[in-house]
Amino acid sequence: MFLAAFPPKGSEQVSPDATLMQQLLRRDVGAFEELYERHSRIVYSLVLRILRQGPTAEEVVQDVFLQLWRNSSQYDVRRPLVPWLLTLARNRALDHLRLKSERQRRREEQTEEFPQIAAAAPEYERALDEKRRAERVRALIGSLPAAQKKAIELAYFEGLSHSEIAASLHEPLGTVKSWIRNGLLRLKEGLQASS
Amino acid sequence: MNSHDQYREQIEAYAIGSLDDPDRALIEAHLASGCADCAKALEEARWLVSQLAYLAPDAAPSDMLKGRLLRTVRAEAPAVPERQSPVRAATVPWWLWAGVAALLLFSVYSAWNEQRLRSAVADLEQQAETQRAERQKLEQALVAAKLQAHEAMIWSDPKSVKIMLPAKDPKMPQLEAMWHPEMGICVRGWKVPTLGDKRVLQLWLIPKKAGSKPMPLVTFWPDASGTFSAMVENPPDAMSETQALAVTEEPIGGSEQPTGAPMWVGGLS
Repeated sequence: MFLAAFPPKGSEQVSPDATLMQQLLRRDVGAFEELYERHSRIVYSLVLRILRQGPTAEEVVQDVFLQLWRNSSQYDVRRPLVPWLLTLARNRALDHLRLKSERQRRREEQTEEFPQIAAAAPEYERALDEKRRAERVRALIGSLPAAQKKAIELAYFEGLSHSEIAASLHEPLGTVKSWIRNGLLRLKEGLQASS
Repeated sequence: MNSHDQYREQIEAYAIGSLDDPDRALIEAHLASGCADCAKALEEARWLVSQLAYLAPDAAPSDMLKGRLLRTVRAEAPAVPERQSPVRAATVPWWLWAGVAALLLFSVYSAWNEQRLRSAVADLEQQAETQRAERQKLEQALVAAKLQAHEAMIWSDPKSVKIMLPAKDPKMPQLEAMWHPEMGICVRGWKVPTLGDKRVLQLWLIPKKAGSKPMPLVTFWPDASGTFSAMVENPPDAMSETQALAVTEEPIGGSEQPTGAPMWVGGLS
């Protein structure tokens, strides 16, 4: 089981993000500034990769952090902050990227939600600091065959579906489905082994 | 394999958002039925998918963004509550009461003044925000005007070469393109039928060299009246190396190689 590699709950410590989020709930501007300093770079890097335009990317990052400030009371401080920020930022950026479509409208509906992300993840985040985890993710995905890596990037950064990726890469639909699932499972196993 | 296992196998694809509509609807119905195992797996998969963000090249936002955000947040933050004095009345000499009274008056004045300043700052920020939006609109209009002027120059410059692209289907209208050796390529059309959902048109360069693959260019789509106009400022190959221009219909986002036969082709003489 994926989470079996994590330390038991009894050993949990309060993460700096959780402390800052508790201060943010009390409308502490200093805590907001600290959270922005800690995480704006990765959020901006992700959004810029999706949109490829600096000014638009900054607007999206502004929206994401203002949502964090304005809706912090809806956030569960026991859950990891960074994955939530990245999920929200990706949804917002893809909304900008795509034309109005059924897929986009669904994403817009989800954008205002606070997606439920595994509460055990902070344990993992302690096991590997952000820099080392980033290096590990890049190495694991970089070790995949080029076409498989491309399929995962098209799904994550372009928001394409299995059939859209299959058409774009001229590969059978079943192959694309296996590539994406197996690639993510390999990432999971690789990160688990590093913890 | 039972149906639960089949849903479980799709959780990662659902988390990354790549499931096609029918598969997605099935798994959403399964999650809505209250499967705790799949719900937990989805939370883990969302965390895993979020880690893909680290594949993005490192970049830093501008200092201006931080300044804008902090101004907005400070304007929305409540005033810091005043603390009660822990000193008991019986032990307080008169001069200290006078000091406390003066301090209280000063605090009231400060709070009033702060509120006034906060209101003034909020007004200024509102004005700045309005001006920013207007400037952005103007900048967008300027960019659009520059592109339009660039396009007009390509269409009118005597060095441009006109290329007609007759349709393979005789019921479809002919497209026309203009290629300027330094300024780029323009293509336009009228009365082009509406495309299907998630479909776009894509322009290609067909190289002269035998065995070379078509080179993907810009994607575009007609408006409600069937009109479109698109431009490529920096074509990847020279006119002298190109045999023809072609247009195909592709999935949204375009393709690296054509997925179907060209609908329009125009040779360079």
